[in-house]
Amino acid sequence: MSNQSQDKKYMPEIPQKEIDELRKSIKATSQKVMADNIARMKKTSNNRPEAMQYFDEVADFFGKREKEIRAAKEAGKKVVGYMCLFAPTELILAADAIPVRVNSGWYDTAKLGDRVVPVEVCPVIRSTIGAKMIGLSPYLELSDSLISVLTCDGQTKLGEILSDYKPVWSMPLPRVKDSAQSLRFWREEIMTVKKQIEALTGNKITAKKLRSAIERTQKATKAFRRLQDLRKGNPVIMGRDAMLVNQTYMWDDITRWTEKTEALCDELEKKVTGKEWVCSPDAPRVMVTGTPMIWPDNWKLPTLIEEGTPQGVIVADELCSGERLLYDPVGVDEWSMDDMFNAISERYLMASTCPCFTSKDGNEDRINWLLNKVKEWNIQGVIYYVIRGCMLYAMEYTRVKKVLDRINMPVYYLDTDYTREDVGQMKTRVEAFLEMLAARIDL
Amino acid sequence: MITAGLDLGTQSVKAVILKDGEVISRSQAFSGFDPARAAEQTLDEALKKAKMTLNDLDHITATGSGMALATNSNSTISMMGADARAGVYLFPKARTIIDVGAEEARAVKCDEKGIMIEFVLNERCAAGAGTFIEAMARALEVKLEEMGPLSLKAERASPINASCVIFGESDVVTLIHRQESKPEIARAVFDAMADRISSMVHRLGVNPEVVLIGGVAKDVGFVASLKRKLGIDISIPEYPEFAGALGAALTAAGKVQRSKK
Repeated sequence: MSNQSQDKKYMPEIPQKEIDELRKSIKATSQKVMADNIARMKKTSNNRPEAMQYFDEVADFFGKREKEIRAAKEAGKKVVGYMCLFAPTELILAADAIPVRVNSGWYDTAKLGDRVVPVEVCPVIRSTIGAKMIGLSPYLELSDSLISVLTCDGQTKLGEILSDYKPVWSMPLPRVKDSAQSLRFWREEIMTVKKQIEALTGNKITAKKLRSAIERTQKATKAFRRLQDLRKGNPVIMGRDAMLVNQTYMWDDITRWTEKTEALCDELEKKVTGKEWVCSPDAPRVMVTGTPMIWPDNWKLPTLIEEGTPQGVIVADELCSGERLLYDPVGVDEWSMDDMFNAISERYLMASTCPCFTSKDGNEDRINWLLNKVKEWNIQGVIYYVIRGCMLYAMEYTRVKKVLDRINMPVYYLDTDYTREDVGQMKTRVEAFLEMLAARIDL
Repeated sequence: MITAGLDLGTQSVKAVILKDGEVISRSQAFSGFDPARAAEQTLDEALKKAKMTLNDLDHITATGSGMALATNSNSTISMMGADARAGVYLFPKARTIIDVGAEEARAVKCDEKGIMIEFVLNERCAAGAGTFIEAMARALEVKLEEMGPLSLKAERASPINASCVIFGESDVVTLIHRQESKPEIARAVFDAMADRISSMVHRLGVNPEVVLIGGVAKDVGFVASLKRKLGIDISIPEYPEFAGALGAALTAAGKVQRSKK
């Protein structure tokens, strides 16, 4: 592991003064963006759930949670960062370490990433590179090691680039799910990363500890599912609020997050009983699918939908930054070490609907997820969201559109980038789509 | 019932006055630096032509990229929604409406009531729109309105790239250096635009009847290229540049009718 190598493989040498100035100004912008997003979310929602306050706070990248992790680190805990949600967080928890997801949603750092890779590269990657360049992301900075799951091309190279700074554990992922060989292969990778986590933390992952970690994520999954189920009826939570709750899971303390999410759901259930809708029940019900939408900057699409004329409401998503995070539980039959590892391997490989997979029928799991969501969540329109450079999602659109056309479900392909400048053009498109959905509902 | 439609486009603003389903007046002006004021003046002029005042109007609907700026409108409709409305009003069998304006091109699929079902827009680039013809006319040192008739004289087609105005221009320069004739280069420009627009339309499916509206529909060169590319006849109304404003005026009439029910 060439951690402190003087001659970096990818990263340019930047004078410390420039780094400090960039970090200062981009951090200031980011704080403004976060505050503005939350203020707008509060304004848009009638009767916004009070329990959201907790998530508003924990969403602050430079706030309490950062301090908490920093303190835990000083007390000897290790932090393991990960990029794709295939990283088996149960193992990190079982070794008494803190898992944090480090993909970047900052628009401004994407421009810095252009110094390392061409602009054609997916901006999530460019932005994460840029964030590392100036040390902007507290969670990325605090990570002792990173798990890089080799999913799309961008993620694959991102791990390599970040290894200029930190030990990176690469986990190759088979591209075909429905093969016994793939599962065996993936299980080996999980066993390898287990040893790496143990070596880093000095903590042995025992059966007892692993069981406890799995049980904690199972509880989180239960709360998570409860929240998504509450979005099936008339809206008691705006899509952006639910999306924020979902995203904070990526860096919050799991047990506390679960408690707070359950408390939120209790409040939402009362709203259902009291018929306290957060927006008009006639607002078009939208599902978004595609490239991950990462807090705080890349919030423009959900904002345009929920602040649009006419107003729409996001009631479901198929995003790896959203409902795919925790929807599937780790299903353990017997609490033997062997069985637990089987269950973890299966859960991360089989449950994923990421377009990096294919099979003899194509990415059938994603299609089924979308069709199920459309039906169960009473979706009235789908926005297929792709950022430039996200090849796999862009390519799967044709397939998804054909399937949705067959059930007469309107779908709109929206492409954008990590930039604030195209909000006007996006607004035209999103509002025309919402207007069309509203006209369909009227008829 | 009297209604007005205002189309605040990227290059010009248009107003249409509609009385009991018939267009009684039209007016147009440059958007300029103050599109809101331009829209007010255009509406005033249209009212003057119809010998009316603002008070005679039951409802005003705005559309176009600057619709949010309109000061005196009662409601708005998306450009694609307005296109669908106008297309089916002008040609009742229309199911695909193509609108090519100064800086944007779009295609709308609609039903028999003029409600849009699906739409596509050109991606962040004006290469498929009117501005492209303007830039290429400059490169060829001909007037904008000469481009169309010139292109019809071409004996063959030389392909150029219209993925971007800038690249398109450098491709045209290559053709100039190759000493291609002006008619052939003009035709190449229209063919390239038609290429882009037809692939956009194909994403919706080419459902007849196909209607072409927007200012560029007046260009005979572009129309010839698009017909060739789509391999299908295209209907063009008498005042294609006013279609957006007409769609807005029709929407306004619909709103008045609904509110009376």
